[in-house]
Amino acid sequence: MATTTTIDVSTPESIQTTLRKIAEEENDIDTNLENLLSKQSLIESKMGAICYFLGTLNTVVADTKKLSTQISHTANLAESVSAKVRSVDLARSRASECQQRVHDLIDLQLCSQGVLKAIEEEDYEKGSALIGRFLSIDQNVLQRTAGDVGSSGSVTSVSDAVRTLENATEKMRKLVVIRFDEAVNKDDLASVERFLKLFPLLGIHYDGIEKFGKYICTKLAIKSEKELRTSLDIAKSENRLPVAFADTLTTLLENFARVIEVNKPIIEAHYGSGYLIILAILLQNECDSEVKNVVLEFNKNRRINDLIQQIKEYNRATGGNMPSLSQYQKQSVNADKPQPKDIDPIIVELTIMHSRVELYFRFLRRKVKLDIDASNVEDVEKERQTQRLNSLLNNSGLSRQMQELLSNYLLLERHFMEESVNKAITLDTFEVGQQCSSMVDDVFYILRKCIRRSLTTQSVNGLCAVINNTASCLYNFINALKVPLKNGYPSGYTDLAYSAIQSAVQHGKLQSSDSEKARSNFINRLNNADMSTEFLETLWETIEQDIKNTFPTLSVTEQRIVDSCISELRTVRDTLKACVNFGMTQLRSSAVKPRLNPWIDQFLNYSHILSEEELADYEAGETFIQTLIVQLDGFLSQFKNVLTPRNFDAFVSILATDTTARLERAIKKTSFNRLGGLILDQEIRALSSYLTGVTSWSVRDKMTRLTQIATILNLEKVDELTEYWGPENENETPSWRLTPQEVRILLALRIDFRMDDIKRIKL
Amino acid sequence: MEDYKFLFKIVLVGNAGVGKTCLVRRFTQGLFPPGQGATIGVDFMIKTVEVEGEKIKLQIWDTAGQERFRSITQSYYRSAHALILVYDISCQPTFDCLPDWLREIQEYANSKVLKILVGNKTDRDDREIPTQIGEEFAKQHDMYFLETSAKEAENVERLFYEIAAELIDQARNKDGANVNKTTTDSIGLGNFGTKATQNSCCSSFSSNTSQSTNENNNSRNNT
Repeated sequence: MATTTTIDVSTPESIQTTLRKIAEEENDIDTNLENLLSKQSLIESKMGAICYFLGTLNTVVADTKKLSTQISHTANLAESVSAKVRSVDLARSRASECQQRVHDLIDLQLCSQGVLKAIEEEDYEKGSALIGRFLSIDQNVLQRTAGDVGSSGSVTSVSDAVRTLENATEKMRKLVVIRFDEAVNKDDLASVERFLKLFPLLGIHYDGIEKFGKYICTKLAIKSEKELRTSLDIAKSENRLPVAFADTLTTLLENFARVIEVNKPIIEAHYGSGYLIILAILLQNECDSEVKNVVLEFNKNRRINDLIQQIKEYNRATGGNMPSLSQYQKQSVNADKPQPKDIDPIIVELTIMHSRVELYFRFLRRKVKLDIDASNVEDVEKERQTQRLNSLLNNSGLSRQMQELLSNYLLLERHFMEESVNKAITLDTFEVGQQCSSMVDDVFYILRKCIRRSLTTQSVNGLCAVINNTASCLYNFINALKVPLKNGYPSGYTDLAYSAIQSAVQHGKLQSSDSEKARSNFINRLNNADMSTEFLETLWETIEQDIKNTFPTLSVTEQRIVDSCISELRTVRDTLKACVNFGMTQLRSSAVKPRLNPWIDQFLNYSHILSEEELADYEAGETFIQTLIVQLDGFLSQFKNVLTPRNFDAFVSILATDTTARLERAIKKTSFNRLGGLILDQEIRALSSYLTGVTSWSVRDKMTRLTQIATILNLEKVDELTEYWGPENENETPSWRLTPQEVRILLALRIDFRMDDIKRIKL
Repeated sequence: MEDYKFLFKIVLVGNAGVGKTCLVRRFTQGLFPPGQGATIGVDFMIKTVEVEGEKIKLQIWDTAGQERFRSITQSYYRSAHALILVYDISCQPTFDCLPDWLREIQEYANSKVLKILVGNKTDRDDREIPTQIGEEFAKQHDMYFLETSAKEAENVERLFYEIAAELIDQARNKDGANVNKTTTDSIGLGNFGTKATQNSCCSSFSSNTSQSTNENNNSRNNT
């Protein structure tokens, strides 16, 4: 713009140019104006259209307003209609209420007329039904109706009818009670049941059940007393004698369970749900006292209290801990304590009794809980009834009896277990050809038997206590194993286990020396300990399975208690393992080391600086390694069959460790030339292949250091080492166990290697 | 695996109704359940606490006090690391039974078990056993002593935390003893004297430790 506004008129050329520019601009403006003018008609027509539509829009606004008023009008209408419908509904419900009252009143009339007649005719069913109808009418409404009718002055007999019926109800209640009592006295079961059904009609549910309960209790009392006496008599002559009292208790509890089972539907049909608990409470009282009688008889006949007393005194005398074996042997002379064999059947009977009570409680809980849940009351009331049930079960005399039975059971079971285990240890015998002695089998058989038996009590508490006692018992068992191990493996000229046992076989025990006996004893205990760890693992695995089968639905807390008790057995297992390890170290220090060291030290007597001829001579003759292998083989074969496989593997492992360590020491004291290194390499290979062959367990790892030492000493030149040593070789060869320092020392053992070369090598 | 350094079993014993369950519930759940029913057999609670920067899992076994549960509860004594013997300070008979309980502990528990005497219900006005009597009794029998109220939550946390601290010390000493190959018999109460005095939080415990150590040694010599 600046150029066009500042017009340069200094020269005619510039004037010309400016003129041309102005003319061009003028042309542009002209075309623009023409364009605008051509659009004028289009815009005008559009404006016309808009004006037309404006008129139409006004009509739309008016219509909309009309519609909205119509809608609000309709809404008002609908509201007033629905209000009318509501009041109609109310009226109708009042009408039906009224109808109900009229029906009630008619029935009331009928009832009051019929009831007296029924009573006169001794038609108790009809009378009770009429009274039942009367009682089902809302008494408050009835009172009000009587008042309403009375105030209007008409002479109706509503209040009279009510009075008649109330009197009749009283009379009927008394009558039914009297008739029921008569039936009870006559022991007329049909009549008892007949009148039992009438109580709820007369609105005296509780009385009915109470009376019925008492009746049943007296019947059961007579029955069970008879049963107790007969079963005692019969049991004495029959083969069920050992479980006579358990049988009696079973029959007794079955009787009670049957009463509940049979009468539950009757009561539910005539009384409705929720009343069974009343019957249960009544029955439980009777059950408690009857069970008490049976248990008293049981305790008396089986001398339970004497036994408990004896065991308690015995335990006190031994300080609660199991006596040591020598003590045990001394004490077994005095016969004051009960013998396992004698209390075994009593323990069985106790477990049966306990399990029966447990089953009875489960049955009762299930039945009554179902009845409470089915009852037609609020949840709070149901909760209250359920608590009533729980306190009935937990605080009943039966539950206390059951806990005492369990307590006695546990005391006897513990005594049985400890005494039997002690006996098994005392009577321990070792048969030739066996790796373990009899006590391992015996002890674990006893423990398993006891734990299984504890499961049959159906009590988690009982099971856990027995598992705890098992753990205690095993600690004592371990101590018995440990004593010979502590004394160590006796060394001496004939310190070979095999020969010890062999000579014991050949000459009989009398002639074998004390140390031989001690040696075979040591090996035997070591095997026992090893076998016991295995048995113990199997034991808790099977227990866990058994528990799952016996108690499929344990609560979280119960499961935790059980788990914690079983984990105690795991601790025992660890102690047993420590015991095996302890025995192994004893064996190592007294049997392995003294033999092995002189054999391996022979290495020092063989020169490893050889000429070609000497090498040939050496290979022709008896080499060091051949001798060593023969010696090792002889040594190991003596232990192979007397040790359990696991113990033997552990033993070979010890032997391999000690051999390689000692041999390494000997090598480090020796000088080598090229051929000496070659021989060493052969020797190490021979040893390695021998040891690998002896055991299933991989011995290669133990040989790694030695193999690497042999590789170093078998080098052609010092430089060759770099081919083996280095990060690029790590994938092919096992990583080096030797430090660079050690490698230099080893290289220096080769007399033909120069120190300068060794120093120069990069490690 | 759960994340904890030590697991200790603590067993509570004592006559029925002295408040064993309430002590456990107060400690593990922070509750005081009124009208607590009698425990049947044993009950079991776990609480993980942190003492001296270590996570400790406490397995607390609450036992029934009635005689008829004795053969169940006894079976738990042996594996216990600590036994809490509880009596009710407002009920003389519960205190009079203590010697019977000690006999039972002697008979069934590990001889090295940590024993604590607890007089519960200090909230009651009708105290029958003065603190000093309880303290004397504990001193005579090599036990720690503490009075608590489960209802008012008094000394309950302290009771369990101090037990945890003592048991950690014991466990550490045991490890140390094994490494140094010293006699393992020294794990017993003998170590408490030094440990307890170093540790300021055990002030109530430390008052009787020096004496108890001596008595402990004496009783060992006698037996």
